[in-house]
This record gives sequence, C-alpha cells and structure tokens, in this order.
Amino acid sequence: MIAEGLELARINSPLLLVTGPLVGAALAAAIPNARASWAIAAIAAILAAVLAFDLGWRGLFTAGSTGVSRHDGAGLFVVPLLAGGGALVTLALGALSKDVSERAAPFAHALVLVVIAGWCGALLARDLFSMFLAVETAWLAGVGLAAVNAERDRAALSGALRMLIAGGVGAALLLLGVGFVANGVGEVRLLAFAETRIAAPELTSIGVGLILLGLAIKAGAAPFHFWVGSAFGRTGAALVLGALAALGAVAVMVRVAGFAFAAPDLGAGVAAVLTVVGAASVVIGSLHASGARNLKRLAAYAGVAQIGCILLSAALGSPAGLAAALVQMFAMLAAALALFGGGAAIGGVALPSLDGLGRRAPLASVAISVAALSLMGAPLTVGFLGRWRMIEAGVGVGWWWAACAVVAASLAGVFYAGRLIDRLYFRKSSAPYVGEGGGWRWLFAPMLVVAILAILLGLEPAWLLTAADAAAARMMGLAP
Amino acid sequence: MSAELSLLIALGAPVIGAILVLLLPKPPGLRDVLHIGAALAQAIAAAHLASVAAAGNTTRVILARPLPGVDLAFSLEPLGALMAALLAGLGVLHAVHNAGVARATQDKGAQRLMAYASLASAAMMGVAYSSNLFTFYVVYQALTLATFPMIAHGGDEEGQRAARTYLATLLGASVGLLLPALVWTYAVAGALDFRAGGLLAGRVDPLTASALLVLYVFGLAKAGLPPVHGWVSAASKAPHSAQVSIFALSVLPAGGVGMIKVAAYVFGSALHEAALAARVLLLLVGVSMCVAALIALSKQDLRERFAYSAMAQSLAVVMGTLLAHPTGLFASALQVVALACGAATLTMAAGAVYAATGRTEARDTAGLGRVMPWTFAGLAIACASMVGMPPFAGAWAKLWLIAAAADTGFISAAVLAGAAAILTFAHLGPLAANALAGRAPTDPFKRADGASIMLVAPVILSGAATLWLLLIADPLARFLSPLWMGGS
Repeated sequence: MIAEGLELARINSPLLLVTGPLVGAALAAAIPNARASWAIAAIAAILAAVLAFDLGWRGLFTAGSTGVSRHDGAGLFVVPLLAGGGALVTLALGALSKDVSERAAPFAHALVLVVIAGWCGALLARDLFSMFLAVETAWLAGVGLAAVNAERDRAALSGALRMLIAGGVGAALLLLGVGFVANGVGEVRLLAFAETRIAAPELTSIGVGLILLGLAIKAGAAPFHFWVGSAFGRTGAALVLGALAALGAVAVMVRVAGFAFAAPDLGAGVAAVLTVVGAASVVIGSLHASGARNLKRLAAYAGVAQIGCILLSAALGSPAGLAAALVQMFAMLAAALALFGGGAAIGGVALPSLDGLGRRAPLASVAISVAALSLMGAPLTVGFLGRWRMIEAGVGVGWWWAACAVVAASLAGVFYAGRLIDRLYFRKSSAPYVGEGGGWRWLFAPMLVVAILAILLGLEPAWLLTAADAAAARMMGLAP
Repeated sequence: MSAELSLLIALGAPVIGAILVLLLPKPPGLRDVLHIGAALAQAIAAAHLASVAAAGNTTRVILARPLPGVDLAFSLEPLGALMAALLAGLGVLHAVHNAGVARATQDKGAQRLMAYASLASAAMMGVAYSSNLFTFYVVYQALTLATFPMIAHGGDEEGQRAARTYLATLLGASVGLLLPALVWTYAVAGALDFRAGGLLAGRVDPLTASALLVLYVFGLAKAGLPPVHGWVSAASKAPHSAQVSIFALSVLPAGGVGMIKVAAYVFGSALHEAALAARVLLLLVGVSMCVAALIALSKQDLRERFAYSAMAQSLAVVMGTLLAHPTGLFASALQVVALACGAATLTMAAGAVYAATGRTEARDTAGLGRVMPWTFAGLAIACASMVGMPPFAGAWAKLWLIAAAADTGFISAAVLAGAAAILTFAHLGPLAANALAGRAPTDPFKRADGASIMLVAPVILSGAATLWLLLIADPLARFLSPLWMGGS
C-alpha cells in the first residue's frame, strides 16, 4: 500500500512539485505561530526537494518514465537545484525570524513556498500559457516577499514597488509573446516548436523574442536590471530572490530557448536575443558589482554577470553550450546561497561590516570566500568549471568574443570578489560583530556547508558534467 | 621510498608543516623544529626524486580530474626535478634563517610568516612538478595567494596597500593573459599536457604563435617583465624573511620555471613560428634588464635594491627562453639556479643584518663585513655570482646566454645582457666592497652576542651553493637534455 502510494507520487511528481509546496504554503500561512509556520514550511520544502531529486535522477540518469516531455532537460536539471536550494533557504529562514514581525512571518514562509512552487511549475509546464501563469505566480510571491518587511524598513516597499513595475512590463511582454506564438504556430505547447511546421516563422520569432525579453526582465538581466539593486540590496528577502527567483527565471529562459532551437526557423533569432542580453549582462553586471558598497548588491550584480555568461552559453544553441549554461546555473545557485546566506548569517550589509570577520564568523566567512573564488573563476571551483565549459563550447564554433567576455567577467570578478576576501581576512574589524544570536543561527549551517561543498565540486565534477550533458542532450532532442 | 610517495611528501610536507606551525606556535623551539623539519622532509623527498629522474625514471600522481581529459596531476621530469631539489634544499636554509630572524626580532607573528613560507614552498614544488598547463595554472595561482599575506604581515596601511597591488598585478595578469593563453592552447592542441618537443609544434601559424607567445610572456608576470612588474616594487616592502621566499625561492623562480616549461613543453619548435614576437620581446627584455639594474642602483634600501636586482636576473631567464635555441634553454635553467642561490644569499644576508643590527640601508652597511665576516663573505659571493663573475653560478648562466644570443644572431640581446651585468656590478659591487673594506662601526649590534649561527650559517651555505655549477655543469647539461631533445 505504502509502496504503491510512493510509486503514484513518483509518477505524478511534476504535479506534486507544484501542488505540494502550495498546500504547504496554505498551511504555513494559516498557522499564526511563527515557529510552527516555519516548521510546516520547512517540511513541505524538504519533501519537495526529495521529490525533485528523485525526478531529476530518474530523468537524467535512468531511462524511467518521469511524466515530463522528452525535451525537458532544463527542467529535470534545474528543478532539483531549485527545490534543494529552496529547502536549504527555508531551513535558514528559521534563523532570520527576528527580521520579520510575528504577524508577517507565516506569510513570509508561505510566500517562499509559493516562489518555489511557481518556478518549479514554470520549469515543468508543458505549454506556454501554463508557464506564464506559473511565472507570474512566482513573481508576485517574490514581490510579496520583498514587501513583507515593509513595516520595519520602508526601503523594502520601494524595492517591492520596483519589482512590481518591472514584473508588470515583463508580464505584458510575456503575454504578448505567448499570443504571437499561438498565432504563429497555431498552439501553445512547447513541444510544438519541434513537432509542428511553423506557419508564420517571423511572427513566432517575434513572439519567442518577446517571451525571452519578458523573462529577462524577471531574471534581472541587463539592461532590465533596474529593480535588482533595490529589491535584493535592501530587503530581507534577498536570499530567496537572489538565490531562487533569479535561477528560476534564467532557467525558464534557457528552457524556452532550448525548445525554440528545435525549430530551425527560430534558432537565429533566439541566439541573437540571448547574445545581446547576455553580453550586456556580463558587462553591466560586472561594472555594477565592482562599484557595489554593499554585500547584497554586490552579490545581486555578480548574479547579473553570471546570468550573462549563462545566456551567452545558451546562445550557442549546441548541446555543449546548453550543458555549459546548466553547469553555470549550478555555480550561480551555489555562489548565491553562499553570498546571500553568508551575508544574512553575518547580519551586516555594508562591505566595511565584513572587516576582520574571518575569525569571528568562520563558517560564513569561508562560504563568502569560496563563493568569491568561484565568481573569480578560480580553478578547482565550480565557477571555473562552468566558464571553462562555456569557453570550450564557444571556441569550438569560433565564438572567440564569448571567450573574451568570460575572461573579462573573471577579471572583474578578481576585483570585486577579491575585495570580499581582503575584508574578511586581511582587515581589522571596524565595528562590533552583530550576527544573529542564539542556537537558531545554526540553521544557516546546512545551507552554507552545502554551498561550500557545491562550489568545491569543481575538484571532481564528473557527475555534475554527466547530468548537465544528459540534460543538454535531452533539450536538443538527442536523448531517447 | 617510492617515487609517488616522495612526490606526495615534497608537495604535502610543507602544507602539514604550515598547519602544525600555526597550531603550535609555542614554545618557539617546537615551532622552529616543526618548520625546519617540514622543510627537511621536503628537501629529502625532492632530492630522492632528482635521483629518480637522473636514473631516467619518472612517476605521475593524479589528485583530481576537474575537467574532462584534464587532470590535476604532478609528474617527474628533469627540469622540475632539478628546480624542486635546488629550491627545497635552499628552503631548509631559509627555514633555519626564519627561525633565527624570529628569535632575533622577537616577532610575535613569526609562525604566520613561517606557515606562509611553507605554503609558498609547497606551491613552488607544484609549479616544478606540474604535469600540464592546467595544474601549473592552479599552483601558480595558489603561489600568489600564499605569498601575498606575507607582504601585509606588518599590518600597517603601506604594507596592506602593497599587498593589494601585488595581488592585483599577479592575479590580473594570470586571469587576463595567462588563462586566455591556456584556453587558446587547448583550443589549438586539444590538450594541455606538457610534452617534450612542444604541444603546439606543427599546429600553429606564425600569427597565432606570436600572439600566444605574447600572452604567455606577459601572463607569466612572476617573471617580472614590464609592464606587469608592479608586484616587484610592492613585494620589496615585505619583511626580510618573506623576501627570501618571494625573490629567491618561489615567486621569481616560478616565473622562470614557467617560462622554460612553456618554451620547451608548450611551444617547442613552434617557438620558431613566433620569431617576430620573440624578436620584439627580446629587445624589451634586454632593455628591461638594464632598467631594472639601474633602478636597483638608485635604491638605498637593501630590500628594494635586491628586489630589482633579482628582477634583472629573472629577466635573463626570459631572454634565454625567447632565443628558441637549446643553448638558450640551458642558459635559462642555469640562470634560475643562479638566481635562486644568489638572491637567497642576498636576501638572507639583508635579513641577518637587519635582525642583528637593525640596519636596512646600503649606506649603513659600510664596514659591517668586519664585524659580520661570514655573512658578508656570503653576500660578496652572491654579488659576484649575480654579476656573472666566474667561477660562480651566474657566470656559467650568462656565458651560455650570451653564447646562445650570438649563435642565434641576436647580437643586440647579447649586448644588452652584457650591459645589464655591468650595471649589476655597479649596484652590487660597491656594496660588497664597502661592507668588507670600510671601517668597522662601533657597537653595531642590537644584542651583545651579535648575529646567531642560525642567521649566519644559511647565508654562507647558500653563498657556497653558487659554486656547485662549476663542478656539475656538464652532467647537468646531459640531465636537462630531454628539455630540448624532444624537439630536435
């Protein structure tokens, strides 16, 4: 009986990955006690992570049925990352309870689950309209999270407002794009790009372009990143938005691009959009990160630069390029968890507050330092691995300029991420340490340890590369 | 002891030593024993590996496989074995010197300097034994990270600023130039393994070869070629014992060994394709040698003078590799040996003088040779070697270098190398002569017992090491012949 139930759950895991967190969110919101609400949210997030890893494992490493389409490599690769990261973030929220009022805490926990459910849904949706709904659900939950602390910090409201404006524009572009594709292809199934003869390729190309631009806004890619600094840099929700929402949005972008590459008429247009947005993100993100005076903003803009590298890799439109994009998504999540998580654990935001913390907050300092090394593209980190795979894929088809962009991103990383290590270990403390007190702060530990280990996976990355290659092959329709 | 185990000991002993020294900084006796013991273990392992290489055997250790088809691997070949054995041997003397300086200056943070020196030594062993360009890049970066805290050791604002300049210059050059060169090489050759005869041989056109050579030469900023030499000035602010690590035992030699490995194992005969770039670079290297020697002449601070002097010597290594000739490669290898012995002696002598007398300026050393005869005898030998006076190591290196330049028709390079030697004499000769011939100062020592044996012995032993090339130049040429035989 139990075995049958578990098997049923495995078969329907894509559906459960959306409904499970949503039910958990409803329960978490309904419980007025902050700690009880957090416990419910954590359980729901952990269950979702288990389901997601099972789904990813079966889809990428075994030939078992997963209930997702044969092109869905991006979903199978990223959903476990998203759900796993979501579980770690939800656990860590237990240590951040002081940041939110008792009244608002249950809503915050519920919103985190909705963010996870929304982006997982968008990554597993079979048609563009479902994807649009899932993206908007996740986005609005993110806006709610950004605003949840508004009664204590008015800047949070400003960040939420900017997100709302950006999201509105993004939603309009998305919806318009879905409409164009529906007219151009005759249906909104994602597989239709591969299976149907496109009646109006120009209209469809414009539609896909609009969808990608709408998603680029939601990912915070340049030049649509105007909301990133204020939303990530001042609000308490940076951990969720910076680590999960950014990954979800860029993964959905790559997923849509992957489906569109299956249609020969759309490939060039998709590559052009990804290239332009990617290159702009690398340059602008790196410049902003270099000028950042606040750890969250630095992490947010470093994320923009990483999104640029991901999009440039995906723009190659080859299995190698898509695999490189997926490896970089892994690196991006690990770095974001370490940077935003380390920053939250330390409690300070301004860069000078990091001075001399290497000894007093060792785990958070190691996490931030390892993430900084990954952002620099230091060898043996997963950041280096992702960029190496991208250069390998780019040079293979003569995209030398993409290799140059990656080297430029790494050089900028040396400058802005190097500052973090310098402050943590080579400066004297200028202010008392105000880190989260009490035993609850240990809830940061799983997230930071996992992030450190994930970054150091660059030492022996065989299974990560195998998974990324399998996912990329699936995206290109090469998998069985 | 198996060769694999020796390789692991040579790489790992200093790391373990560094950890132990940091964990057990007191009592000072235990700290010093741990520091010297780790260096000794490394030296014994490196000497064993040199004997294995001399017997024509090899070994390989793979630590990880971070990229498909690219290992983090270390292997034994003649050049790496020679350099590792030499530098590890000098490292023992440096460890004794560190202990002597720590005791004489009562430095409370001496264990940190010792630990970083050990880590730098481990990274240098990694550079010497690196089996491919990727491994070389990893340990090359690790060397930068291990040495930069030594510059900021004093904790003052000037030291921290210098440390940041050092880090920015070396990391910037390696990420911005060396990494693209590495990627390009991988794209052209499909592999990154160091290969006798050259990885790029027969695979590159003149334009690609020239562009790659420029990227490598400037990317290997540790060799000190302008305009990526800003770190030299920054590192001259480092404490005395750190300078030994940086200028004699790890950073400058890493640049030199890197250049030789790139020339012999990456380019090989493809270096002839890059003749145009090599010609321009040779001119730049020759002029830079002379300018560095002139700058050294203008410096009164011993640390700064020796830093620029060592930079000029390091550039001679680069010159030898750019000549694209077996004699040039041999001269470069000898020059690394001469640089390591000479610079170690000079910087340890400066450290001993500072520890015993508190003096740091060249003008204040007049007559000190009369009260510190062994230290200044070592310094004089090292000066003679750096200038290129026979029978010391530097003489053979410069002789081969000028011969190689003449053989290949680069007379201007030979002339510039000769001019640099004269300028080196100008900034080192009078220093040694004044110290030995001047009037002895009254009451020069900070402590009544003067310089301890731990300060004096490493200087004179390291100075004496400059003589050994006199005895083994021919066997050394045979030992190193695989370096250029693969391509001929």
